[in-house]
Amino acid sequence: MYSETITRFLRANGIKVGDEVELRNGKSAFEGILMPQTETGDPDSFVIKLKNGYNVGVKMDKDSKIRVLKSGEREFSFPSAKTSARKGLEKIALIYTGGTIGSKVDYSTGGVYMLTKPEELLFEVPELSGIANIDVRDLMHMASEDMAHMEWGAIAKEVADSLNGGARGAIITHGTDTMHFTSAALSFMLQNLNAPVVLTGAQRSSDRGSSDAFMNLICSSYIATRSDIAEVGICMHEDSSDTSCSFIRGTKARKMHTSRRDAFKPVNDRQIARAFPNGKIEYANDYRHASEKKQKVIANTKFEPKVALISAYPNSNPDIVGYYAGKGYKGLIIEGTGLGHVPVEPSMKENSWLPAIKDAIGSGMVVGMTSQCLYGRVNTNVYRNLRRISGAGVVYCEDMTPETAYVKLGFLLGNRTRKEAEGLLGKNIAGEITERSRIDSAETGFD
Amino acid sequence: MAHNEEYYKAIGFKCGLEVHQRLATERKLFCSCRAAGEPGMEIGTVERMQRAVAGELGNVDVSTSFESQKKRKFIYMNFSDTSCLVDMDEEPPHPINDDAVDTALMISASLNANVPDEIEPMRKEVVDGSDPSAFQRTMLVGYDGHISVDGREVGIPTIFLEEESSGIEKNDDESATYNVSRLGIPLVEIDTGPDLRNPEEAKKAAMAIGLLLRLTFRVQRGIGTIRQDVNVSIAGGSRVEVKGLQEIDVVDTIIENEVERQLRLIEIKKELAGRNAKVSLPVDITEIFAITGVKIIRDNVGKNGAVYGLNLVGFEGIIGREINPNRRLGSEISDYARAAGVKGIIHSDENLEAYGFTSHEIEQVKQRLNVKSGDAFAIVASGNAETSRRAAAFAKLRAELSVQGVPSETRAADSKNMVTRFMRPIPGGSRMYPETDAKPIQVDKGAYEAMLKNKVEIKKMRDALEMEIGNKQIAEQMLWSPRLSSYSFIVSKTKAKPLLVASILLEKMTEIKRQGIAADSITDDVLLEIFRLYAEGTITKAGIEEIMKRVPRSGAEVQRIIKENSLSRITGNGLRELIKKFRGPDKASTIKQLMSKYRANIDGEEMNKMLKEELA
Repeated sequence: MYSETITRFLRANGIKVGDEVELRNGKSAFEGILMPQTETGDPDSFVIKLKNGYNVGVKMDKDSKIRVLKSGEREFSFPSAKTSARKGLEKIALIYTGGTIGSKVDYSTGGVYMLTKPEELLFEVPELSGIANIDVRDLMHMASEDMAHMEWGAIAKEVADSLNGGARGAIITHGTDTMHFTSAALSFMLQNLNAPVVLTGAQRSSDRGSSDAFMNLICSSYIATRSDIAEVGICMHEDSSDTSCSFIRGTKARKMHTSRRDAFKPVNDRQIARAFPNGKIEYANDYRHASEKKQKVIANTKFEPKVALISAYPNSNPDIVGYYAGKGYKGLIIEGTGLGHVPVEPSMKENSWLPAIKDAIGSGMVVGMTSQCLYGRVNTNVYRNLRRISGAGVVYCEDMTPETAYVKLGFLLGNRTRKEAEGLLGKNIAGEITERSRIDSAETGFD
Repeated sequence: MAHNEEYYKAIGFKCGLEVHQRLATERKLFCSCRAAGEPGMEIGTVERMQRAVAGELGNVDVSTSFESQKKRKFIYMNFSDTSCLVDMDEEPPHPINDDAVDTALMISASLNANVPDEIEPMRKEVVDGSDPSAFQRTMLVGYDGHISVDGREVGIPTIFLEEESSGIEKNDDESATYNVSRLGIPLVEIDTGPDLRNPEEAKKAAMAIGLLLRLTFRVQRGIGTIRQDVNVSIAGGSRVEVKGLQEIDVVDTIIENEVERQLRLIEIKKELAGRNAKVSLPVDITEIFAITGVKIIRDNVGKNGAVYGLNLVGFEGIIGREINPNRRLGSEISDYARAAGVKGIIHSDENLEAYGFTSHEIEQVKQRLNVKSGDAFAIVASGNAETSRRAAAFAKLRAELSVQGVPSETRAADSKNMVTRFMRPIPGGSRMYPETDAKPIQVDKGAYEAMLKNKVEIKKMRDALEMEIGNKQIAEQMLWSPRLSSYSFIVSKTKAKPLLVASILLEKMTEIKRQGIAADSITDDVLLEIFRLYAEGTITKAGIEEIMKRVPRSGAEVQRIIKENSLSRITGNGLRELIKKFRGPDKASTIKQLMSKYRANIDGEEMNKMLKEELA
């Protein structure tokens, strides 16, 4: 952003961002296009894009003189491609919600912004039109960190609508930060699901030739078009190479890296399938198969937002439990340590969580226990403290991730009585709990 | 071959240099990997595909789309100490290396340049795969500078600080393999104006810039750490960028040959215009060669391949026209076709019988392509029909460009044959956009003023060396020597005489190197110790040489080498005793006796003095 001084100076000289200008500052003269100043630049410096393509910052001073060489009339827009239906190709829905996969450098601001038209994404990945007839649905333009249960509901409805409207599968482009929350939510919300629902995103924006968006979209399209998986899942890079994507069950996926393209890993599960950019799909796990029987997909979007996800750790203060109870929260998921502990007998007695938990449950809250280890299953019997915590009425959530348990509890409390919710929290509904702890399901490595 | 200045003026010679120099910083420009030294253990490879994306102005750059049409797989080799997630485009850049910025500004000051108030990091799109992110981070750090070349002021309009690319290890039709260890090492690019007057001046400018950079003592040295690109054009042609001129000695010859090539291409253009030349669409002529004696078609095409032919209307005799030593217009067309993954082209200005074509086959080709008298034809073949089709399209493009004259290209210097070869079309201006992951840098103008005051000046350095060494010739040699930094280090820290230090570093070390001993592996600290011991009188001049020979071989400490090889200086009473012991009938035989046994231990001057005293 330019300072008030520069803004006034530009206005006085009849110049706007985008104009080709000559800027004189003392002995130096610069010719080029006046660019906007970025948030991190000096607001008192002009940014000029020189003929050689480089930007330079020039500090405004009392001798600064500027004149227009050519008015910048050109309106910048990203190129886009419309797809026309091709015979013999399946129809799939591409539901656009925002995120890095739908973002590019916006030259009018210098930052990474979201594409305004999903068709622009199709321009970037022309292969898609050879895989399926794509019904682009522009649902929202939202960064995933801003999404909440209303958005999950809106996406669920859009998916149900598209599948009921004849789409063979659905792809949802989504920001990656909270994609695993959305995938879990859709897994619970979409009932009678009989088609693949694929969430995908990108860790590198598609304005760069190395973006992971291209292959993620291609592999997602193959899963949506060719697989008989009737589940919600996340389809992104399997490793750092552009070789294959993993399709991971929506209730078992988790973002495990801040920046790598293979950030999503299955936790306590194997990936359902591996998809290759040439269209090959390898299945690697049990999954729900699509059946011949056509049934209407129902989006059950009711959700209780008064559920919280909190973490217990050394020195943690259990007052937080009382705080939520006092605010009328109906559910609480604790990320405990190890097998599912919270401090029970610490030296600072007031830091024991047990009384706070007992009070919360007593006041009608459902409290669930998961592990911050992420990998592995919680247990109620191995140690005395585990027995005391579970004895207080905490539901131990088996091998669910804390995020999935959180979404599940919100979904249950939105649709069921407290008692039913408490009963179902520890039982498998949508693949979120596996009965067997498979030895070969701990694919935790990044190499 | 060398022409005079008038000649170059007359042909409208325009030439500018781009010098790329790696900086000697500890860390890379945008990550914390080591920027020099051994790469460490290889820790596996990553495979990526890249594609051209719409640039800042919404259009895909010519050069990047040409590369991505090739649809190749890129394989990146990673190393434990010198590559990380930032290099692999798996993590945003770390804050910029301040030391690199400081060095780049110091170089700008030494080139008398201005610096921007705010440096703006940019992304320059690269789709040859040499960068896993598909762009290079680069920024303008200096402008409007100049350097004196043989007394003439040559303009330096721009100086950039940027990331080094990965090194190519292997390159074939389907994939290119890159070594990531050097990616991201800070690099300065110094551009001269387009006003270098002749090839010799270009060479001299490159040498002057190289020298100035070395004199900062803040740049890397050794093979590959500096390279020159040169832009050359003549009147009636277009700009051609020649990359990878690593050997400075041949810069002028390669430019001379490039000028020659452009002149021949302009002649060809004129001739083709007179003939109304044009190129027809490629035709699939695979079936003509279903059964054939043409070895390269028979052995390669197979079931899935294809042969394509092009009618080059009006080109007869011109495809075979020599444009450079052993290079014809056909070689240029071949280079384009090769970019699609074939071995080359076959054309009608060649001896087709030598390839095994029958006259019947030639007739059939002519018929299918509708080749008439005055026309020429070209054939491409590959075991992959798609490769063959693309190669034909690329060959067609190059043939068409010859009707227009000199294509604007990026070419690679071939130092062995002193010519240039096509790499890709010259990039347009639409492949730069802001690096939004890195913050703009506010330049401290006060600090820059101080840098201007303390800038490196070749003349000042030369005068100082002359004064110090007291020998103009040796001082000049020292100035250009890669051992200059060792020299300065030793002279500033010991009492050893500058002339002696310079002579030993220049002559003795070179001699030792010629004997196959890795003299350059001796570190400055070791050299310092050797010269310190000499200055203290612990060893002799001959002893210096003996130690230098032994350090690289044994790797032992200097003191130990002296002890184990009895290299201590024998002086004073010790020397007197020796003289007594080895006294011969005359002075000459005494000296001979002594020196044959104690050459490394006796200082000649001291011995002579003693002998003289005894006689007196």
